[in-house]
Amino acid sequence: MAAVKGVGLGRALLRLFAVQGSYNYERLLGLGVGVAEEPLLRDLADGRYRPAVARGAHFFNAHPYLIGLAVGAAARAEHDGAPPDQIERLREALCGPLGSLGDRLVWAGWLPFLSGLTLVAVALGAGWVAVATFLIVYNIGHVALRWWALHAGWTHGIRVSTALHHPVLHRATALLGPAMAFGVGVALPLAARFLAAPFPRWGQLAAVITAGVAFLLLRWRGDRLSGLRVALGLAAVALVVGWIWP
Amino acid sequence: MDLVSLPQMMIARPIVAGTVTGAILGDIPTGLKLGLMFELLQYDILPVGAVRYPEYGPATVAAVATAHAAAGVLGLGLGALVGLVTALVGGFTINELRRLNSRIIHAASTTLESGDPRALMRLHVGGVLRDALRAALVTAFGLFLAWLARPLLAGPLSARDAIVLATAAVASALAAGAAGTFRLVGKGPNLGWFAAGLGGGLLVAVWLR
Repeated sequence: MAAVKGVGLGRALLRLFAVQGSYNYERLLGLGVGVAEEPLLRDLADGRYRPAVARGAHFFNAHPYLIGLAVGAAARAEHDGAPPDQIERLREALCGPLGSLGDRLVWAGWLPFLSGLTLVAVALGAGWVAVATFLIVYNIGHVALRWWALHAGWTHGIRVSTALHHPVLHRATALLGPAMAFGVGVALPLAARFLAAPFPRWGQLAAVITAGVAFLLLRWRGDRLSGLRVALGLAAVALVVGWIWP
Repeated sequence: MDLVSLPQMMIARPIVAGTVTGAILGDIPTGLKLGLMFELLQYDILPVGAVRYPEYGPATVAAVATAHAAAGVLGLGLGALVGLVTALVGGFTINELRRLNSRIIHAASTTLESGDPRALMRLHVGGVLRDALRAALVTAFGLFLAWLARPLLAGPLSARDAIVLATAAVASALAAGAAGTFRLVGKGPNLGWFAAGLGGGLLVAVWLR
């Protein structure tokens, strides 16, 4: 167990960076989870190793940064001799909470918050330094979260749900929501100013009006329209307008 | 590739991809401008579950390569158009790759159930390599589009046409950015923070005029 903890956890962490490498519609992230879990299972007895590897590669889906929690917990449960159906149930039970927590913490918090701050800095003239800072700061949080998840999963095993109630996670989620909203809110007008600065007056006015109409369209028919579809549609209209404008 | 497979460190995030492409071409301002525009479009995407989405990383690379050929607004609109088409194609290929992975993994399900770690690793690495090839092809396609679009900058596309196109691109990026953020913020207490941020941003923008 001690050897597993050192080398095995390091290998599992490295493999977790590629956990979505074989993403598919049948097992979703299952294969990647199995590959990440395998180094932690190597010292299981002969008759238990292969069934544990096979179980690790079953269907799984969650936020990629928090999957380590499931990987560590399932591997620890295998070492502790938990029954196979209990391990399967543990994996199933973790999909939803890990997905939901990761989405709120990262995709709807940490990432857009830092991205918004970066857009503000770029719009105010900070240039590539702002982008480099974004990459560094974002990945400090990213790698720390991946490591914490794997370590917590391995520590708690079948009782991993206690790790999900860690106060830091809940405080971070509570803080990042408003911070993201405020940061991106500041970024939008400054980004508009930055992008439309070289336009003539009529172009700036047209950009504001068109953005307003497109926003309402996206809010109204968000179920059928996407930003890309609206952008391609507007580009097509712009080409036609340019063509017929004498 | 960073978007899904490896290592998800946001290297393919538009603001990063645009800046790096700009640096390679010796034109960081254009990279930042298009990177910022596509970053706003990226806000429209919340990559939860098995949702399908466009790929804005290679799109930004193609957009910057196009816009680099012409200074200012002229390249901005056409660059955005090339980038949008590349994003559409990139999104399509991601979906097709996932279908292909599903077929391959389904065919190997008996081997996987045997718990053979080598077979598991082979299938997984195969997926990573297929995604690397896919990403390279999408980027090459975008750069090919950029090469095709360059003659338009010198010929049929007038300065006014380019402004109209750039206006449409900027407007849609702003709309997508606002709509995506609005979706994240929801109607709860964060809406007040969003409104306060918008107000503050507007004040700074007006103050800087």
